[in-house]
Amino acid sequence: MAVRETRASWQRLLFFFVCIAVGVAAIVTLRSVIQSVREVFGSEARGLLAADVLVTTNREWPPEARATIDRRLAEAGSTARTETIETPTMVRPTDRSKAVAKMVELRAVQPEYPLYGAVVLQGPDRYSYALLRDHGALVRPELLTALGVEVGDEITIGRAPFRIRGLIASEPGRRVGGFSLGPRVIIDYADLPSTGIISFGSRADRRLHAKVPDDRIDEVVRVLRLDFKDDFINTRSYRSTEDQIGRDFERAENYLSLVGLIIVILGGIAVSSVTRVFILQKIRSIAVLKCVGARSAQIIAVYILQVMALGLAGSLLGVLMARGVIAAIPLALGSSPSLLAQAHYGVTWSAAVQGIGIGVLVSLLFAVVPLLQVRFIKPSLLLRDETARRRRDWLTIATMIGVSAALVALTAWQAASLRVGIVVCAGFAGLAVVLHFAGRGLVALVAPLSNSRSFPLRHAVLHLSRPGNQTRVILLAVGLGAFFIVGVRSLQASLLGEFSVQVDASAPDMFLLDVQKPQVEGVRAFLGDRAHGAGEFRLIPVMRARVVGVAGRETTLDSPEAVRQSGMSIGREFTITYRDHLEANEKIVEGTFGRTASTEPEVSVERDLAVRARLHVGDTLRFDILGRQLAARITSIRDVEWRESRNGGFVFVFRPGVLDSAPQTYVAPLKGPATPADRARFQHDLVVRFPNVSVIDFHEILETIRDVMSKVTLAITVVGGLVLFSGALILVGAVAMTKFQRVYEAAVFKTLGANTRTIARMLLFEYGVLGSLAGAIGSLGAVVLTWGVSKYALEIPWRIFPGEHAAGIVLTSLLVASIGVLSSLDVLRNKPLATLRAE
Amino acid sequence: MIELRDVSKTVMSGSEPLTILHPLSIRIPEREFVAIVGPSGSGKSTLLGLIAGLDAPTSGAVLIDGVDITRLGEDALARLRGEKIGFVFQFFHLIPSLTAYENVAVPMEIAGVDPARARAHALLEEVGLTGRSHHYPSQLSGGEQQRVALARALANDPPIVLADEPTGNLDSANGRHILELLRAIHQKRGTTIVLVTHDRELASMADARLALRDGHVVENTLQEDADADRAAVRK
Repeated sequence: MAVRETRASWQRLLFFFVCIAVGVAAIVTLRSVIQSVREVFGSEARGLLAADVLVTTNREWPPEARATIDRRLAEAGSTARTETIETPTMVRPTDRSKAVAKMVELRAVQPEYPLYGAVVLQGPDRYSYALLRDHGALVRPELLTALGVEVGDEITIGRAPFRIRGLIASEPGRRVGGFSLGPRVIIDYADLPSTGIISFGSRADRRLHAKVPDDRIDEVVRVLRLDFKDDFINTRSYRSTEDQIGRDFERAENYLSLVGLIIVILGGIAVSSVTRVFILQKIRSIAVLKCVGARSAQIIAVYILQVMALGLAGSLLGVLMARGVIAAIPLALGSSPSLLAQAHYGVTWSAAVQGIGIGVLVSLLFAVVPLLQVRFIKPSLLLRDETARRRRDWLTIATMIGVSAALVALTAWQAASLRVGIVVCAGFAGLAVVLHFAGRGLVALVAPLSNSRSFPLRHAVLHLSRPGNQTRVILLAVGLGAFFIVGVRSLQASLLGEFSVQVDASAPDMFLLDVQKPQVEGVRAFLGDRAHGAGEFRLIPVMRARVVGVAGRETTLDSPEAVRQSGMSIGREFTITYRDHLEANEKIVEGTFGRTASTEPEVSVERDLAVRARLHVGDTLRFDILGRQLAARITSIRDVEWRESRNGGFVFVFRPGVLDSAPQTYVAPLKGPATPADRARFQHDLVVRFPNVSVIDFHEILETIRDVMSKVTLAITVVGGLVLFSGALILVGAVAMTKFQRVYEAAVFKTLGANTRTIARMLLFEYGVLGSLAGAIGSLGAVVLTWGVSKYALEIPWRIFPGEHAAGIVLTSLLVASIGVLSSLDVLRNKPLATLRAE
Repeated sequence: MIELRDVSKTVMSGSEPLTILHPLSIRIPEREFVAIVGPSGSGKSTLLGLIAGLDAPTSGAVLIDGVDITRLGEDALARLRGEKIGFVFQFFHLIPSLTAYENVAVPMEIAGVDPARARAHALLEEVGLTGRSHHYPSQLSGGEQQRVALARALANDPPIVLADEPTGNLDSANGRHILELLRAIHQKRGTTIVLVTHDRELASMADARLALRDGHVVENTLQEDADADRAAVRK
């Protein structure tokens, strides 16, 4: 019987199960791809670290620490080791006629590098240390265009010239899609001193890579961590990296799968809605079945079987779709040298089973409640024309509770966290409720149009609230898709707008780093010289420091280890300064700011950190400033307006006097020249005079941010697009589902003299209004989203982009109107008599 | 005037052709009240559908006031129906999401007649439903629904009203009421009425009778009337 029933009505139900298929395909694809990639990264973890054990510090190696490391590695039977130094620095063409300079991420390596993994060069050349010896350099291709140089040309780093001997395609330890300050340049470790860029207090990462027998790795990592628990030296193994990668991938897999789950749930909502209409249409058949002796339970069982069969078919289709998408990945990656190209892509069993399970379960869960209405259909219906009303009894309510619990469990299973499951379900339910009420509100808002003089418009509006309408589910599904896309695009525009405003205003747009104390006067003279084109500038002394102890009213931490473990965000390295005044973006909220020099160490703390770490005026903080310990009393708490922090964004500001003679470098925020050519020349000239000084150009950073953001936006837009696509499928399905009403009405209207154009206009208006409402819901949601995210997450002023919202509404209404009319074409074509006879 | 010339209708029943109407020719003069009678399956409703242009004949021509409607497109047919033909169905075919008043107003709105409101109310009053104009079809009895359908058929004051078993779904009292209304409309407005029924008693209330069996005309008092007229003229 289930088969017969399915055969009779499967075409109408198809779209909803295609929707389930899309969601299942998303889940299976994401899980499979991430699992495949994870496998590669797991097996390449040594290559990512280029070592079994990696010991790092961002200060000079203290001699005693070196001795400890040597001893521990020897004890562990280390077979090989090599060192690298990484630092951001400026590079310029040696050819003086090319007035440009560019910040790069420099890595100086020894002959044994890399212990694992490989540096891959572009072209036929293979990497060997010989390429670096005697001032050779390997660079990323993008540096060539930035500097206008070619392989074979000379570039200057600091004071020393290097010849470009090859182009880097890939290298060990480069994070995929990680943020970088500039292109990579690799040089010989032995040549680094000749550049003169590494001086006291410079920002440089020193890394010691070691090969250690597999069974000794965990032990040596453990003892080294213990040895250096109070020092700023970190130790990790490829295994901890592997674990970290594993956890990252697992999290990514679970969270991304939630997107698929949301699409499946959207399909589920459609299944629920379609089942309701389906039962309405089947009322007479069900009454007949009951007349000939079928029990409600039997009938419900038939329909449940039918839904599960279709859910299974949809899920299998989803797995097939996933296979197709995954098969296309190697083609898309081509011969890319990226690690991603080394993965063997295929649908994994676990992903397929999960996808199918979810597809079938969601179909079932969403169909059960509407199917329970079968119990209220009386055979007497055949004798009298009764309108069956929707009813609820204790069984329906209990089932609804059960279904909700099952959905939470399903989501929790997918996210591998009960908390996330509850939050996502609650969020989705909240969103659905909001969209539902927004939909009702908007439908009520357009209700007066039902008194319009235009016949097609009047009827279009009336149709939105006709019995058995699909208005709400279409508004939910399409509105959600529009919400995703418009919301994300507005956020992107908002963020980019914010950055642009910050860069374009008269605020500083360049930043000098690592100005040494003896260079201060020279740099001041350089910047003050109008010929170089710099605007306002200031030179700020900075030191890098860590908090190594707290003695206070509420917080007491007596070791660097305790500070690190406290989870109060004071364990990281801070850039500190000293001065005798507050900046315009600062305000004292507690205590007094010491404005005169003092021999007593005193410090002012930024409010947010003070709140998080529960610090108060009068508490004492112990700092480690480049190896020197200093205990400072907190004399004030400051509020800092971070948005305007280009001149003074410091968490800790010391009272002048104590730090004045400590080793320090200077940073200089300044307004750079206006045109790109002048900016390039400015950087070049500065670096020629002061080779160790680095320049960060915010305009370039903005470009990078724009690039990263457009990728993120693209990714989220694809997700939104998938949701919108499901919404469109649900729309097509809803049109198919309610078409019998339309065909009938069109037949009556035709009999009464309506021509095809009138009926087409009715359809166009109906779907146009529906689409505008869905677009409006999406846009309204996006407005709320951007407001919330701007205010609470990004802390930037809230902006509205009328263009994005208007485009969202117009495009959604066009989409819905064209899909609606196109899928109703046969309503226009049908001959009226045949339709009326069939009724 | 309605004229059918050698009109036939054949449909496919499975893979077999099935002739519902064998070629027939009839003329229904203006202001005539004619009943088409015959057992179920004799082709009565098909004939009515062809006259209304709701269906196309397999062969032959259907002329309304001299215009061959088989040559008209869907939209021209729709306009013709809007202007000249009112249709009453056995199963009422009211739009369930519209009130009685709105259902009556629909043809006028389609034709762009103004003011539809006053006329719709007047028509409902004419069929005795003044107090029910804001009820939905599901809130009306079968007889009331059919009276709404009748009011709707009269909305644009068409010269022709076609009624397909208008009493078939009603009890005898309601059936008689509908027929009396049709009769009154015929007399008051001079509307041509073509009534399909299988009830010979109801058919006897008509001025002329056309009987069908298995798609053939077996009795045509229209023709007799015409012959009698012609004979009278000759005399």
